[in-house]
Amino acid sequence: MLPTPIVSADFNKVYEPSEDSFLLLDSFEKDKELLNKQFFKTPIVLEIGTGSGIITTFIHKHILPNGLFLTTDLNPHACKTCLETSLLNDGTQFLDTIQTNLTDSIRSNLIDILIFNPPYVPDEIVPEIPQNDDDSYEWLDLALLGGEDGMIVTNVLLDNLDNILSSNGIAYILFCARNKPLQVVQKMKERGWNYELVMNRKTGEDLSVYKFQRS
Amino acid sequence: MKFLTTNFVKCSVKSCDSTTDSFPLGYDNCKLVQTEQEFKPDFILSILERLDWNALIQVAKDLGNESLPPVKPEGELLQNEDLLKDLHTLLIETTIIEGEMICNNCKHVYYIKNSIPNFLLPPHLA
Repeated sequence: MLPTPIVSADFNKVYEPSEDSFLLLDSFEKDKELLNKQFFKTPIVLEIGTGSGIITTFIHKHILPNGLFLTTDLNPHACKTCLETSLLNDGTQFLDTIQTNLTDSIRSNLIDILIFNPPYVPDEIVPEIPQNDDDSYEWLDLALLGGEDGMIVTNVLLDNLDNILSSNGIAYILFCARNKPLQVVQKMKERGWNYELVMNRKTGEDLSVYKFQRS
Repeated sequence: MKFLTTNFVKCSVKSCDSTTDSFPLGYDNCKLVQTEQEFKPDFILSILERLDWNALIQVAKDLGNESLPPVKPEGELLQNEDLLKDLHTLLIETTIIEGEMICNNCKHVYYIKNSIPNFLLPPHLA
């Protein structure tokens, strides 16, 4: 088992790595060989909603040391923490963090490996972006709540995937059972995407990581 | 934000996507810092393939650097270690720590603060 990066952050303002984050780390550990075979040069890796930056830091350190890493987050505290987490774990050759919504400000068809641990918890709403940097609990809500079926934000991303990924790009996305992932992947299949379950774990929550690639 | 990232970011406004003016952004009032990084020629070579060279030239010009070759280096030129080192210095070691980015279509201005670019739109544009 590969060691988990050190994270030191204010978890009142930034999502604290939890079971969902760790399932993504394990998913990348599982796919390490495969990813290195497919992307032997320098893959461009983008993590959306990076939070503490633990996943990107792990992938750089243990999975794809030659990658070029970009992360995005709406939360300014997360953007800052992501850079700090990387430095705390010996830094990266290339990491930039961008404060933006999903991939709004990223050039099209650039990304080889996309990672998204979305706000997947079903709720009546998707929270508005706080107007004040110091409204800490509002930033945390934003990292959690995903509206109807917990899929409102993830659906925006899935609808735009063709525009985001490079020609042989792969997206790793986390779902909880209440997101009805089997229905989601079936719909993606009909739209020309191959999918594969990378890992499933039932600990309190029933979480799955699926990957998507053009067929 | 590293210089190289200027080749990856565009205006967040959706209606700007259909124009050629939303990428690259215009750069103004930028404060640059050089940070030493290990030189990895293979990294530069493989990233070179992914670059929009004209965008790179345009942004370099905004930041006062007119030394880039007019066309993307190819073939034998790529064995020139001095050229790769120059690119390493510009793309990887140069960080914009403060500055403004302007969309040449909608004229919206985005800011870079503490090396982090902010592309969030005000509610009326989002």
